[in-house]
Amino acid sequence: MKRLLSLMLVVLMIMALVVGCSNDADQKGEATGKVDTKQDESKEDTKEEAKDPVELTFSIWDNNQKEGMEAVAAAFTEQNPHVTVKVEVTPWNEYWTKLEASAVGNSMPDIFWMHTNEFFKYATNKKLMPIEDDMIDQSKFSQGLVDLFTYEGTLYGVPKDFDTIAIFYNKELFDAAGEAYPDDTWDWDKLVEVAQALTDVENGIYGLGAPYQSQNGFYPFIYQNGGTVITEDGKSGYALPETQEAVQFYFDMIHKYKVSPTLEYFAENGTNDTFTSGKLAMFITGSWKMKSFSQNEIIADKFDVAVLAKGKERASISNGLTFSGANDTEHPEEVRAFLEFAATEEAHIIQGKSGAAIPAYENTQSYWVELFPDYNVNVFVEMLDYSVPFPTTPSKPKWGEVESSTLKAFGTGELAAEDAFPYLAEEMDKILEKE
Amino acid sequence: MRVKSVNKQKASNYFWGYVMSAPSIIGLMILNIIPFFYTIYLSFTESDGLSAPTFVGVENFTRLASDSEVWLSVMNTLYYTVLSVPLGVFLSLLFAVFLNNKIKGVSIYRTIYFLPMVVAPAAIAMVWKWILNSQYGILNFLLSKLGIDNIGWLINSKMIIPSLAMVTIWSTLGYNLILILAGLKNIPETYYEAADIDGANGVRKFFHITIPLVSPMLFFVLITSLMAALKQFDYYYIMLDPSNPAIDKTQTILYLFYEYAFTINEKGYASAIVLLAFVIIMVFTALQFWMQKKWVHYE
Repeated sequence: MKRLLSLMLVVLMIMALVVGCSNDADQKGEATGKVDTKQDESKEDTKEEAKDPVELTFSIWDNNQKEGMEAVAAAFTEQNPHVTVKVEVTPWNEYWTKLEASAVGNSMPDIFWMHTNEFFKYATNKKLMPIEDDMIDQSKFSQGLVDLFTYEGTLYGVPKDFDTIAIFYNKELFDAAGEAYPDDTWDWDKLVEVAQALTDVENGIYGLGAPYQSQNGFYPFIYQNGGTVITEDGKSGYALPETQEAVQFYFDMIHKYKVSPTLEYFAENGTNDTFTSGKLAMFITGSWKMKSFSQNEIIADKFDVAVLAKGKERASISNGLTFSGANDTEHPEEVRAFLEFAATEEAHIIQGKSGAAIPAYENTQSYWVELFPDYNVNVFVEMLDYSVPFPTTPSKPKWGEVESSTLKAFGTGELAAEDAFPYLAEEMDKILEKE
Repeated sequence: MRVKSVNKQKASNYFWGYVMSAPSIIGLMILNIIPFFYTIYLSFTESDGLSAPTFVGVENFTRLASDSEVWLSVMNTLYYTVLSVPLGVFLSLLFAVFLNNKIKGVSIYRTIYFLPMVVAPAAIAMVWKWILNSQYGILNFLLSKLGIDNIGWLINSKMIIPSLAMVTIWSTLGYNLILILAGLKNIPETYYEAADIDGANGVRKFFHITIPLVSPMLFFVLITSLMAALKQFDYYYIMLDPSNPAIDKTQTILYLFYEYAFTINEKGYASAIVLLAFVIIMVFTALQFWMQKKWVHYE
């Protein structure tokens, strides 16, 4: 009797499981079953008029860009009436955890944004839909951007936008001190000199912020000094004197020149908030901040942007995103169609007009630039000529952690340069060798 | 014949009992038990979470044993526990005894003490983050009125753990207090009357009647507080920015686990770390149960 009971119980549990799971499948697969039969039919009759409606999910992490992405999706639906695209926003911190979990469970969003930091993980595990040559015209996009998302010769995503790093400065503080605004004649010495003139510790005003940031922090300085983060032969660049010098110069802003608040200060108050509250005369960040700063009532009419100061050479960091498709999507045809559309000039113009980010398609940048007539935003596009693609390798999550813990300790003055750099270079090399 | 029907009755009871509890059992299986064993399996592998895990034997555990960062985080966790649990439980008991008296407006006081429990931890963390801000926080402002210099509550590596322990005590006080208060209400008045006749003073009554009789509840509160303290993660995650240089020196074991699992993306090693945390919590809880024979009195 008991045995029979436990058997029944097991059956019941399995039933509950199946029922529980199939709900989910129903929602997704409702269309699939029909689409499959449709496909069979459409092979015989390619001029199928009415197709079953399909809904694609499109996952992004920036609320500022929700409208822009919805506009792109709407334009796509206009051309493909049977497909609707639902845009979902998940904040950056949770986005990657969620995407990873969905990748493990083979239930990824049909379309999503991909970032260079995480690209290799998904590419090596065949989670991304390959972008074949007949889908997009690669020549319309900057080669650097295409290379960032190419793995073993295949492109895994449609370039969406790019960003570069510039100086954001507070005009009010410059005027009060009677200093000229930054321009393209500036070099490192001039940067320090003006930053010192603008610093007023008594009143909590600092000339140049040097928070712990890589891409929008010390990376540009490294390349301006002829250094590199990853060498040509795939080793750590932190063993090079040029790289060390640049990082040293960056953190000297805090300790030697005393023109920047400490790392702790930034950790507590946030870099962007320190700038918008008028405590920073200058800081370095990317074009992605333009929309929110220009809509921020407190800072909107007080700030402007300028090219980065010149070191031994000019350099900025460029990075970008792609529209990527899930390799295991239930609607490969529709996803392909969307990615093809996302690679067109039209989609990039829509995106540019929304002000979300600088569109990647050639000669569509002006649509983004025109949105900010009061600011010198052209510098972001200009700097692309000499920008270095964001340095990354497949093991970035691992060496990035070593890099940040070591350089944070160096930035607080806890570790001396002669201890920090050799240790960092050695640890990084160990990780890079294993790739 | 009769026997059979009783058995049938019994069987049917069992059956319906299982049917009724099936949702919880299934939920536990899927959400707790299976992941637990999967974590044990993962701890013997190297995995990035997407590709198939590769078996590496005890490599993660040998690495764990020699990883100073892990042991530092264990020490931090214990330090945080020592700071927050005894004091927290003691204060809850103290306030519970006060609120057990017949004073005017006692329910208002109880409500006030219980309020932090109603608020989500994330909201508590956000508010305290502002209070403890070293530049603009109200706490440092008040201290400066007393002539005390700026204290970096959340940026000085010596201050972070005490600060977070303080926030924890503040936020869990009300919940523990209500539990202990319920325990106090269960103590029959007759004991106190007898003690009064024997001429015992308030202190003696507290130590010889109140404490022994409320001890089961106190034990429960102690166990749950201890487990919560050893699993501290959320205040670190919300109140400290990832760019905070002091995090590496003050992180708890669960924060380190999170780092390895979701930032560095070494799921195998992260599983080994979280198993270590599991063992530590097990040991402490077992110790508590062994100690309870000495001081907990069940009527």
